[in-house]
Amino acid sequence: MNDTIRRALEDFLRRQAGAERVAIADVKLLSGGSIQENWLIRADVAGGDHAPELDLVVRTDAPSGVQGSHPRAEEFALLQAAFDAGVTVPEPLWLCRDANVIGRPFFVMRRADGIAAAHVVVRDRRYGGDRAKLLERLGMELARIHTIRPPRADLGFLAEPDGPPALYAIRRLRAYLDAHPTPHPALEWGLRWLERHAPPRGDVVLCHRDFRTGNYMVDENGLTAILDWEFSGWGDPLEDIGWFCAKCWRFGPGGDAGGIGERDDFYRGYERESGRALDRARVHYWEVMAHLNWAAIALQQAERHLSGEETSLMLALTGHIVPELEYEILAMTEAA
Amino acid sequence: MRDEPRGDQLLDTARAVLREALIPALPADRRHAALMVANAMSIAMRQLQAGDEPERLEATALQAMLGDVSAGSCVPPASGARARLAALNRQLCECIRDGRADEGPFHEAVRRHLLAAARGRVAESNPKYLGSGE
Repeated sequence: MNDTIRRALEDFLRRQAGAERVAIADVKLLSGGSIQENWLIRADVAGGDHAPELDLVVRTDAPSGVQGSHPRAEEFALLQAAFDAGVTVPEPLWLCRDANVIGRPFFVMRRADGIAAAHVVVRDRRYGGDRAKLLERLGMELARIHTIRPPRADLGFLAEPDGPPALYAIRRLRAYLDAHPTPHPALEWGLRWLERHAPPRGDVVLCHRDFRTGNYMVDENGLTAILDWEFSGWGDPLEDIGWFCAKCWRFGPGGDAGGIGERDDFYRGYERESGRALDRARVHYWEVMAHLNWAAIALQQAERHLSGEETSLMLALTGHIVPELEYEILAMTEAA
Repeated sequence: MRDEPRGDQLLDTARAVLREALIPALPADRRHAALMVANAMSIAMRQLQAGDEPERLEATALQAMLGDVSAGSCVPPASGARARLAALNRQLCECIRDGRADEGPFHEAVRRHLLAAARGRVAESNPKYLGSGE
């Protein structure tokens, strides 16, 4: 972060916080988040409600984005909606739509402490506290997210599927595959299976769409924040359940539910909060969908690298996850 | 004729140096990048070892399988091997999407073919995955 941006940001924070003076004491570019930049900022504050210190995360639009990911203004609205619904998220503070302040739009949220890295969370029992309790809590958080339902003027930028959300997702994935230079018959196979087994339209709710281990933060006691709202949209609530439990998001043998434990604990937390029974038999369908979605995203990540848009070994290697996703899709659809 | 060690052998040896001598000496925040480099070298090594054979076999299998359902092939005979393979796979995609592979012996044949092709690609991208048990 150069001096010009730092001063512009200090000035923005001073005005928003109603302070006399704001001085950024510490700045760190957070790793992770291949789509956007996250800056960790500690600021000394004189005067106003936020004195004497603010611990913040500043999220900016990245040089390049994944198709379908929300720009910062929309992500801020989603975070606000989740915060208001009682979901444990970092408190959204201020949005700056004006790209002239630091060069691109950004928003500021309160910093949540803890660790999110999936490989650490699934293996290191020091984080997240008791696993059954953590899964119940995650189920409860997800049920709260799913209380957000259309129509919502503040979330008017989200397209609402006409008809069954599953068929809407299949159309979107097919359009993506059709535009891709390489044909992927195993993914077509999975999409055809999804089409033939598509559930009818039921409740349509706000789906987080990236609710998995790696995208929530924990400390030694338990959950501290649900992160990464840039793919959220209206859909079938089971889509998030399937994404969380899908084999491709377990990071090891630690259990079906997010690689950290038992499905029952997760389901119980969800059912208790929502007051509705989960259709367990239908979760498998959405786990297949999860593999298809992840395969399409992985292909897209590799394309970003190949096109020269963002040269990155991580993006390049993500493309090489596709074969194992295809293999899994074929295995999961075998019986039908 | 090229002398040995060939490209895949060089990658194998270079990766061993990376893993055994270099990665342990790196600061913790650089290890992930170095492990990604080692992984990329492994994938490249396995692709070099396998050569063009898997794609040749895939094309042959597709040709045999699709011969039964698609009358005229839309693949220009003079096009390269990869373009031909892509065209065949595109035909297969259409069959699947149209529902022509929904049932019967063709369903089984396509499923077996796709599984074999996926296994072959996983064997190059992440062979540990196949051994992990389902």
